[in-house]
Amino acid sequence: MSYEIPMGPYHPGLEEPYKLDMICEGETVKDAKLHIGFNFRGIEHLAETRNYFQVIALMERVCGICSFIHTLTLCQAMEKLTGLTPPPRAQYIRVVMGELERLHSHVLWAGIAAKLMGFKTMFMTCFEIREKVMDVLQAISGNRVNYAMNRIGGVNRDIEDPQSILAMVEALEKEMIRTIIPIFTTSKTATSRCAGIGVLTTEKARSLGVVGPVARASGIGQDLRKEAPYAAYGEIDFTVPVVPDGDVRARLLVRALEIMESCKILRQALAKLPSGEIAPPGDGSKFNFATGTATARVEAPRGEVMYSVSWKEGARMPSRVHVRTPTFVNMPAVRFMVQGARLADAPLIQAAIDPCYSCTDR
Amino acid sequence: MSSLDILSASTETATYLERGGVFWYSDTGLNVREVARAMNAVNARFITITTYELPGDGGFRLEYHWDLMGHLLGFTFPIPSNAIESIYDLCEAVDWIEREIHEEYRIDFTGREYEPLLLREGGVCGVNLQKEVVQ
Repeated sequence: MSYEIPMGPYHPGLEEPYKLDMICEGETVKDAKLHIGFNFRGIEHLAETRNYFQVIALMERVCGICSFIHTLTLCQAMEKLTGLTPPPRAQYIRVVMGELERLHSHVLWAGIAAKLMGFKTMFMTCFEIREKVMDVLQAISGNRVNYAMNRIGGVNRDIEDPQSILAMVEALEKEMIRTIIPIFTTSKTATSRCAGIGVLTTEKARSLGVVGPVARASGIGQDLRKEAPYAAYGEIDFTVPVVPDGDVRARLLVRALEIMESCKILRQALAKLPSGEIAPPGDGSKFNFATGTATARVEAPRGEVMYSVSWKEGARMPSRVHVRTPTFVNMPAVRFMVQGARLADAPLIQAAIDPCYSCTDR
Repeated sequence: MSSLDILSASTETATYLERGGVFWYSDTGLNVREVARAMNAVNARFITITTYELPGDGGFRLEYHWDLMGHLLGFTFPIPSNAIESIYDLCEAVDWIEREIHEEYRIDFTGREYEPLLLREGGVCGVNLQKEVVQ
């Protein structure tokens, strides 16, 4: 006999509202339907009513975790329409901010995953480390969440003392090597709770077009920082972790390895930070947009973000802004990940894609 | 051989124009299902569809994007009748974006079934982003 168990839209296992209707037989999930839209704010439509300064502040609020990445992608698209190229120092600062945001996102996710595993001590450890990442972000930008760092043609704030930021990053890396990485990669608690559940095969991952750590944990080595480098990523040496297993443990491993790669990128970017300006000359109060559409893509912590921005020459407001977020493409995979799983594993399986419904609904 | 060469070899008349970060296919007389088949043949990764509402009674313009080895490819389809063939049976990744566009703009992707995605019971298609809602 089948019965339907709704999870959400408001549920202790969900960080944000969405709904997973699971068709179960006994304790086994046979199929699931997903419903989104509980956070819908019409941001794409709102963007058409904001000028070129306001639209950056608006799109920063698409997501609370990867707010920098959203404005970076938007600004890169607007730079194509204005013909502006950010100075080299600004490109490196964008890399530093992008990787700090990846650390922040992955450590936050690790904490939530630990909580869902019933591993509360690890949850507290992750959130303590996350605070320290946010301290670094605050030291650079002055803000803990929405950093207001990006502008058309560059960044708003400089990293005046890279050595002090480097010292903070190195201290952070040591702590992660001591705590998060060994526990998530070797502990029996994490392994027994995550291995073999929520499997997404490589073939299915390709068919669904999943992105980011979800794709890389299913054996697909795609990463825009390598395939289509932006900012200063083309000048930085790093590897893209890929694990073929496709289960929750593989997603855990990929993110743990990405934390280490982010630290490696941060050390290089801070050491190589070129001298010079952080924005084009002038007061930055007026921009001339060409008529047309420009598109930019960036590798966010959860995967590929894409912005298409359309403008008419002489206009102060965009005529269209379309945002394609990573969770929007990763979320359909949850239906296939939970098929055949135990009902009790469903909260951890859905959390393993690191879903962001603020982004998805936008 | 670059990714674009591979695609050119797979479609005899392929020519691309790079504009705004996208390699746009220049042939305007395309069929969306033929494009989806060509993309499948070269293992391109579907990215998204962007919807543009045209002024007056012009209907919509849909821009389909695929990634091929880091290149973003673009294909444009004007749809004055507010309907276009679905490619869901050819490209599973298109499911949610077709459903979202259907609910936000009241565009019909023909040949497929819809289940509600954003809308709740009693919700009306087209009220979210379509500028002039036809009730």
